Amino acid sequence: MTYLVSLFLFGLVVGLVAVASNPAPYFAALGLVVAAGVGCGVLIGHGGLFLSLVLFLIYLGGMLVVFAYSAALAAEPFPESWVDRSVIWYVLVYLIGVVAVAGLFWGGWYESSWVVVDGLKGFFVLRGDVSGVALMYSFGGGMLVVCAWVLLLTLFVVLELTRGLSRGALRAV
Amino acid sequence: MNPYVLAILIASLGMGTTITFASSHWLLAWMGLEINTLAIIPLMSKQHHPRAVEATTKYFLTQATAAAMILFASTTNAWVTGTWNIAQLSDPTAVALISIALALKMGLAPAHFWLPEVLQGLDLTTGLILSTWQKLAPFALIIQISPNMHPAILTALGLCSTLVGGWGGLNQTQLRKILAYSSIAHLGWMIIVLQFAPQLTLLTLATYIVMTSAAFLTLKASSSTKINTLATAWTKAPSLAALATLSLLSLGGLPPLTGFMPKWLILQELTKQSLPLTATIMALSALLSLYFYLRLCYAMALTIAPNVNNSSAPWQLLSTQSTLPLALTTVAALALLPATPAVLAMLT
Repeated sequence: MTYLVSLFLFGLVVGLVAVASNPAPYFAALGLVVAAGVGCGVLIGHGGLFLSLVLFLIYLGGMLVVFAYSAALAAEPFPESWVDRSVIWYVLVYLIGVVAVAGLFWGGWYESSWVVVDGLKGFFVLRGDVSGVALMYSFGGGMLVVCAWVLLLTLFVVLELTRGLSRGALRAV
Repeated sequence: MNPYVLAILIASLGMGTTITFASSHWLLAWMGLEINTLAIIPLMSKQHHPRAVEATTKYFLTQATAAAMILFASTTNAWVTGTWNIAQLSDPTAVALISIALALKMGLAPAHFWLPEVLQGLDLTTGLILSTWQKLAPFALIIQISPNMHPAILTALGLCSTLVGGWGGLNQTQLRKILAYSSIAHLGWMIIVLQFAPQLTLLTLATYIVMTSAAFLTLKASSSTKINTLATAWTKAPSLAALATLSLLSLGGLPPLTGFMPKWLILQELTKQSLPLTATIMALSALLSLYFYLRLCYAMALTIAPNVNNSSAPWQLLSTQSTLPLALTTVAALALLPATPAVLAMLT
C-alpha cells in the first residue's frame, strides 16, 4: 500500500509538472488527465472510495471534453513536447523546486502521514465519504439548489459568450 | 442580449454578493465570489468589441486566480485549525494568502495592474458596476478577517495603493484609466485604516461608491471617455459641467465636499494611533491624486476651448438618458459633509 500510494503521489507531482511547464495543449491536457487519474488513486489510498469514483467519472469526463476541444482548437503541425528547448527549462526548474521542497520537509514525512477516512475509529457502519453524500442531500439541500443554479448560470454564460458568428464574444464585430 | 438572459445574469450578480455577505463558511463565501465573477463576464463582453473581450479575459483570469487562492488558503486553514469559519481564520499562512488574494480581487496596489486595463476596455455603465458593486463582496470578507490580518501587510497595501493610485493616474489621458487609478487610491485609504477602525473603512467605501457613481454617470451623460472630449462637455450640459468639477474635487477630498469626510476621519484616526509618518504620507499622496482631478476640472470647466459656433449648441437637444441617478449621486457626492456625525453614528 505504501509503495502504491508513493507511486501515486510521485505521479501526481510529475503530472502537475507536466501541466505547469507550458507545453503544447495536447500534452498539457495529457498531463492534466494523468494528474487527475493518480489524484483519484491517492484518494483511494486515503479511503475515499466513493469520492474518488465521482471525481474520476466527472472530472475526467470533463477533462476529456476539454482535451478534445483544445486538441481541435490548437492543432499544430509541430507541438512542443516536454523535451523541446522552450519547455525543458520549466520542467527542470519545477523538478528542482520539488526536490528542494521535498528535502526541506523530509524530516516530517513518515508512513502514517496519511490516515484512511474514519481509520482512527474502531467499528463504523457508514464510511466517511458515503455518509458525507447523505449529509449533503439532507442538510445541504439549500446548497445543492445554489449549486444547480450556478450550473445553469454557467450554461447561460458559456452560451452567451460563444454564440454564433457576430453575436458571440469570440469573434470580432 | 436576450432580456431573459440579462435578468438571470443580473439576479445572479446580486445573489453572489448576497451569498458572500450572508456566509460564515469559507466555501460558501468563495461560491458567492465565483457567482459574481461568472455573472458579470457576459455583461462585460456584451459589446463584442475586441477591447471588451480582452478586458473580460483579463478580468476572468485575475478573478479566477484570486478565487483559487482564497479556496486554497481556506482549505489550508481548515486543515490546520479544523474550522471553516470566516471570522476564525487564524493560520498565519492562510491569513497572508487570503490578504493577498483579496487584494488581487479588489485591485490593491502591488496586485493592481489588471484594474486600469480592464476598466479601459468596458463601457461606463459596466465600469461603474465593476468599481462599485463588485468591490462589496471582497470587502465583506476582508473586514471580517481584519482582526487576524498582519498589520504590516495592511499598512504596506494601503500606502502602496495610495501612492500608486496617485502616481499612476498622473500621465493618463483616458478617463476610465484615471477613474481606475482613483479607485486604487481610495482602496488604499480604506485598507490603511482597516486595522484601527473598520467602521471608517465602511464609511470610506460608502462615500467612494457615491462619488465614483457620480463621476461615472457624469461621464456617461456627456459620453466622454477622453480628456479631449471633456473639453467640449460643457456644450452638452453647462450646469452638469460646473457640478462635475465639484464632484471630481470631492473625489480628490477637498473640504466642504463629501470626499473630505473619509480623509479627515482617517487622518484623525491615524494621528490618534500615533502614526504621524503614515498619516503624512497618506495626506501627501492625496495631493498626487488631486493633481489629475484638477487637470480634469481644468479641461472640463475652468477653460473654454475656441470652437466653431454651431458645435457649442448640443445643450438644446433633449437627452434621452435617465438623469435621476446622476442627480442623486451628485448631490450626495457634494453635500454629505454636514451629515458626518450621523453617518458615523450609523456605522458604529
